[in-house]
Amino acid sequence: MARGLAACAAIVGASAALIGQALDPSLLLAPTKDSWPSYHGDYSGRRHSALTQITPENVRQLGLQWVFQTGRPDQLKASPIVVNGVIYISAPDHLWALDARSGRQIWHYTHPENQAFHIGHRGVAVYGDLVYLTTPDAYLIALGAKDGKVRWKVTIADWKKGYWSTMAPLLIRNHLLVGVSGDFDNLPGLLQSFDPTNGELQWTFYTTKDGPHFGGQMWMTGTYDPELNLTYWGTGNPTPVLNGPARPGPNLYTNSIVALNPETGKLVWHFQATPHDTHDWDANEVPVLVDGTFRGQPAKMLMHASRGGYFFVLDRATGRNLLTRPFGPVNWAKGIDEKGQPIPDPAKEPSRDGVLMAPNEAGLTNYRSPSVDTREGLFIVSAQDSYGIYFFKPEHGDYGWAGADYNIWGKGLLKAIDYQTGDIKWTKDLHGGAAGAGVLTTTTGVLFTGDSAGNAIALRTRDGATLWNSGIGRVGTAPVTYELDGRQYLLIGGGSSLFAFALPR
Amino acid sequence: MQRILTACLLWLAAAPVSGQTRAAAVSPGETLFQAQCGFCHGRDATGGASGPDLTDSELVAQDRNGDKLGPVIRTGRPERGMPGFPLSDPDLKSVIDFIHARKAAVDKNPGRRRRVTIADLSTGNADAGRAYFNGAGGCAACHSPTGDLASVGARYRGLGLLMRFLYPTAGNATQLPGEPRQNPVTVTVTLPTGETVTGPLVFRDEFTIALRDADGWFRSWPQSAVKVSVKDPVQAHADQLGKYTDDDVHNLFAYLQTLVK
Repeated sequence: MARGLAACAAIVGASAALIGQALDPSLLLAPTKDSWPSYHGDYSGRRHSALTQITPENVRQLGLQWVFQTGRPDQLKASPIVVNGVIYISAPDHLWALDARSGRQIWHYTHPENQAFHIGHRGVAVYGDLVYLTTPDAYLIALGAKDGKVRWKVTIADWKKGYWSTMAPLLIRNHLLVGVSGDFDNLPGLLQSFDPTNGELQWTFYTTKDGPHFGGQMWMTGTYDPELNLTYWGTGNPTPVLNGPARPGPNLYTNSIVALNPETGKLVWHFQATPHDTHDWDANEVPVLVDGTFRGQPAKMLMHASRGGYFFVLDRATGRNLLTRPFGPVNWAKGIDEKGQPIPDPAKEPSRDGVLMAPNEAGLTNYRSPSVDTREGLFIVSAQDSYGIYFFKPEHGDYGWAGADYNIWGKGLLKAIDYQTGDIKWTKDLHGGAAGAGVLTTTTGVLFTGDSAGNAIALRTRDGATLWNSGIGRVGTAPVTYELDGRQYLLIGGGSSLFAFALPR
Repeated sequence: MQRILTACLLWLAAAPVSGQTRAAAVSPGETLFQAQCGFCHGRDATGGASGPDLTDSELVAQDRNGDKLGPVIRTGRPERGMPGFPLSDPDLKSVIDFIHARKAAVDKNPGRRRRVTIADLSTGNADAGRAYFNGAGGCAACHSPTGDLASVGARYRGLGLLMRFLYPTAGNATQLPGEPRQNPVTVTVTLPTGETVTGPLVFRDEFTIALRDADGWFRSWPQSAVKVSVKDPVQAHADQLGKYTDDDVHNLFAYLQTLVK
């Protein structure tokens, strides 16, 4: 893969001086309450805030403070990043820096027009005085946080081969971890670590390399445990996507949770959520890190609600399975193996005359961030009970999709999973198909998300009772919260605009 | 059904087999199509779960110089999750030319289609399908082969027929051009005065209920202020999805294919 520094302006000094509005990387270990400094808010992926100003009792008083309108047609799907009073919000080829107090634009970066896929963008990473943006045509660009000017850019992968990038990079000390996407071509799946000061490649981890199966792309931001010094990533589905016979066996390390050493990119353990997937059910959904007890024993857990429809609890030091339970209709597994992994039923592989599958291709869940509230013992996920029909015949070949599938029916449901048992404690109808919103919980027992009908909603975490709503358009982002000047703000995207809510002064 | 864009949510189309390289010549229409439409409809327009196979679409087959496709591309089909694309006239033409070129290419190159043909689907047993229709499937409770389903096998064919009986509003490929599309769900709203209003559902969430009344007016109320009763004739189809075996599906398809009078 061709790589190297694009000819561009001066490289920033290797030691980013931390002055003014620059991010201190240690902030990522213990984020301050005025920040949301990385995609998940912190390294755990819990998307849970300790802020206490907004409570179940007063949340009905939330009012609009400002709206930032991108003025673009595409739906916002990014998580806003908030550092030192500045909000960074992205869309494909675009990044805006906003004043976190007023929502006014500070600067706007526009990437040159390109012909790669423009399907969405998830957010940026920040380090020192640099902001890192991935692009549809698979560049990693470092922009000056002060002015939005390009400091350097490097190639992540060759978009002409069918790669693209949508993800928010993950910064771990002096390692910037960046994944790519690519589903229509038989491409090796890879995660790369770049030097955040100059974009030099540090290491590459391949999920697949030599065939007969490809894929396993890492297109969603991973998580990190500083004590174990392990970073956890969900990997994508294998290609050819629907042609199972072309790639017998489990197709490691596709559709897996992989635990890597961030210094070297070396694999420490793996757990395969969907072995030998033939339905596009990648396991890219957030691997959430939770400390607590599991059935009475102290546990360092990893929780993952997978697109294929199973909810897993693992011991994140070793990858040992603690719990496997479906969280909605699934019809593709014959049982669970000794590792806690579902055993795919060969009778449910795509066929010439079609097999009816639960879930459908969009999955029982998808990219939408879940949230964990340890006080309630709940893992809350935006789910979709669904059915689809899948076809494959040898004439479809062994390249890319290699088959056909269609959605039949789907219903968006927010589900609160008791993570000790996998039981669904409560379910909330989202009034439509799959929603686009992630979930944010806070320590006061309130949660924020979006339904499928154009509402931002606040629910009581304990039982899912609705406390507040605002019809801001389809929510495609995961909400975030921060406190500034003594006020707690909620940031949530509706349509192509970003909305900030707070309690009355 | 809202379209969900994920990095994997689509299927694509006939890509070259391994070892071959893609055709080098790229038309402006292809470039535009791939960037704007490719994610849902597949890079070469042969469609997917979130957008239909355009090379196999009735609308494309009937289109002459953009008369059918132009309005759909410009205004979208929001009820099916397709946004509008405000393209300039030349851009619109080049995209439509590309779609027609893809259709022509696929039509003359059957070896690489990622298509589902009627022959593919014809593995079931019509007698077993009739027994299921009248028995375990419970279809006969609402449907009659000599009444509402007379000629259903002529009105819908192949994949369209299959998807429609699984769930009547499933899939875009099943919609015939010009077919009126009205929400099959009807609601009756009882106002505090005791007055009732009945009509097809237009919109419903936790907070608002909206219908079109007998005079054709859109009307909405807060859910909290009225009593709502919903009649959803297609709910039984959703409930059945978890009960079918794949053989049931293929047998029922075979039976429905025989209803052509």
